[in-house]
Amino acid sequence: MNRRGLLALASGGVAALALRTRPAAAHGAAAHGPVLIEMRGSARGEHVGFAPLGLAVAPGALLRFVNRDASNSHTATTYHPSLFDRQRRIPAAAAPWDSGLLLPEESFEVTLEAAGVYDCYCQPHEMAGMVLRLVVGRPGDPGWEGAAPPSDDLPEAALAALPSVEAILADGPLMPAGLA
Amino acid sequence: MLIRSLAAAVAVSCAAAFAVPAAAQDADLSKAPPPAPYAAVSSLVELPDFLPGLGTLYVDPETLPAGPFLGYDHDGKLSATIYMVPIADLEAGTAFDDLAVGAPEVTSVDIYYNAGHPGVEEPHAHVVLLHDADAKARLAE
Ligand SMILES: [Cu+2]
Repeated sequence: MNRRGLLALASGGVAALALRTRPAAAHGAAAHGPVLIEMRGSARGEHVGFAPLGLAVAPGALLRFVNRDASNSHTATTYHPSLFDRQRRIPAAAAPWDSGLLLPEESFEVTLEAAGVYDCYCQPHEMAGMVLRLVVGRPGDPGWEGAAPPSDDLPEAALAALPSVEAILADGPLMPAGLA
Repeated sequence: MLIRSLAAAVAVSCAAAFAVPAAAQDADLSKAPPPAPYAAVSSLVELPDFLPGLGTLYVDPETLPAGPFLGYDHDGKLSATIYMVPIADLEAGTAFDDLAVGAPEVTSVDIYYNAGHPGVEEPHAHVVLLHDADAKARLAE
């Protein structure tokens, strides 16, 4: 109870901080409500993943992560030196964020402003390839920073699971295999 | 009198010392919560109290990652003993021998892959010993 209260407070604090970075004139996308990204898992936990695992949004979009996995906890965490000393895989102009562990049906919100590619992972499931690539805006937008190159900072399964920017822009939201 | 009490005290502490490895087997584990050193998994890591398919889990943290994990149904009845065995450890030649069981009667065993969760984050196998014919149904959700 106390533990959950603390977690909720912590997540709420981070989300509020992230929300405060939104400019007064928010982008139109946010006005239609948050973009939903679910953390999912199969009943016995053989497969876990973000749904979608690849997504394009406009700058200023509000994202809401929700853990829909009844038997597991998940995080949405950006690759950044300030978080667990990982190599940066979000635009230099973007602030890093981390949801912390979300219990089933808990959620976390964050607004993305800086144009470019954001790679995120789930802390307990990165080894299992639970990663997410967000494309904010389009190549050529002011300040755009493309995808970070492959690196051995990532486990093989995570690198293999990251969809290409081209596929995300061409095909729309990409759903994970086995978790539809 | 004094000597007898001392002798009794020594006898008790010796018995306790020698009984430690067997205590987990001999203690009454049939009802939740099991005695220390078992602790609720949800108090050790960020996981729900009741895990569908496994129940309300308790583990002696010293035995991680393999366990045994004790799985109780919603009425607090011991229904399963679960082991969590990292695949990489098996591949490296590590064996997990002489693991304790929560109850001697086992009606069936399920073995399946799990991609990881807080507490046992590496990909691993769940070995689930079900202690009665209805256990799986009671642990389902
Ligand atoms: Cu996860």
